Amino acid sequence: MDDLSALTAAIEVGDRTTAVALARAAVESGVDTREVLGAMTGAMEVVGKRFQCNEIYVPEMLIAARAMKESMAVLEPVLVKAGIRPEHTAVIGTIKGDLHDIGKNLVAMMWKGANIGVVDLGTDVSPEQFVAAAQEHHADIVGVSALLTTTMVGMKDVVVALREADLPDVRVVIGGAPVTREFADQIGADGFATDAGGAVEAVKHALAS
Amino acid sequence: MRLAALTCEVLARSVYLCAARSPHVVDVRLNRRGLHDDPPNLRAILQTELDATGPPYDAVVLAYGLCGGATAGLRAGSIPLVVPRAHDCITLFLGDRARYQAEFVGNPGTYWYVQDYLERTDEGSAFGGVGAVSDAAARATHQEYIEKYGEDNAAYLMEMLGAWRSHYNRAAFVEMSIAPEQAAEAAERRARDDANRRGWRFDRLAGELVLIKGLIDGAWDPADYLVLQPGERLAMSYGEDVIRAEGAPAG
Repeated sequence: MDDLSALTAAIEVGDRTTAVALARAAVESGVDTREVLGAMTGAMEVVGKRFQCNEIYVPEMLIAARAMKESMAVLEPVLVKAGIRPEHTAVIGTIKGDLHDIGKNLVAMMWKGANIGVVDLGTDVSPEQFVAAAQEHHADIVGVSALLTTTMVGMKDVVVALREADLPDVRVVIGGAPVTREFADQIGADGFATDAGGAVEAVKHALAS
Repeated sequence: MRLAALTCEVLARSVYLCAARSPHVVDVRLNRRGLHDDPPNLRAILQTELDATGPPYDAVVLAYGLCGGATAGLRAGSIPLVVPRAHDCITLFLGDRARYQAEFVGNPGTYWYVQDYLERTDEGSAFGGVGAVSDAAARATHQEYIEKYGEDNAAYLMEMLGAWRSHYNRAAFVEMSIAPEQAAEAAERRARDDANRRGWRFDRLAGELVLIKGLIDGAWDPADYLVLQPGERLAMSYGEDVIRAEGAPAG
């Protein structure tokens, strides 16, 4: 197994010590930065798919995402120096009134793992805050998460606020256990995912629409 | 009428009381509390019960809310199925979904406490809020994580999965005035202890039986209850009425 394959494998199983060491070795030995990045994002793609197929669960996903995050910290200065920036920027938060953020945090990790720049607004985020952050960070993706059926209806207000703020290029991706395609269509969201495993795919799909 | 009342044990005392006083003949069946953690599983359990319940019952009354979407998709069996328009059991305890909504908007960081949940917690549970896992269960999970992923990852997972608690700031105990004084006081004391330990504000709210009573009494005002006929299934409405009926595909 070459070093990049080993890096991919280490992230997939959440072995952060090995992953960080391999990322550092790759950077220091001058391996092409994009290749290193590709090895890392490829790992998270596999993790997301395995999660969706119920081959792994939230714990495995969390530890893989931590290994990814720490490896990425090694690579980031090199990426900045090389002028390699994430192609897309997302702002993400849980909907107003909803304080449950495990899912949102996982999605943020998965998006970062797919080399999407992520601005995390935290929990209990109002439509106005989503709009302001999207404008400030020139986001092309807004991610809204809800765990409760009580709060998920408020997602519609975020879609309306973004449309009224004249941000036509922003794609709204909603997610959370109770979220359905029917609901996403009904409120005019551009994409949806019921779990973090499908969140990267949902963004890709929404951006292509 | 003869009614089959399916409910969660978190509503046990309330449903038993209403069943005892109902003008109808009511058989009560309890499911274990906490099943909303896995909505597809709860849905499957309830569907199995619905499919197995027909005449001589005239209807099944379901003392559940949407419970994380668990009841969305449930099909009526061979007899009508009646469901309160509620997101979760807290609406049923407060007796009014508008009241629950106001509580929710005013105090999003509220952890709810009720008599039946507290007195049916597993052994070794220090934390008795509705939906909380017991300390014993948390310890077992931690041990499982250590065995599977090692100490370092296990500590990280427990931190990540327990981080939600930092977002809460209020414990609300709903007093239904059903249990004997001593039992009610013991339950309230446990809720207060939780609040003190976590530095949360404690509030005691008076519960209202009205929604549970209406369900069990057969007083199914369409504003508060949805009646599903055989061939229909429950869907989320995403509006103030919470749930609606839709045709269930055959099979």
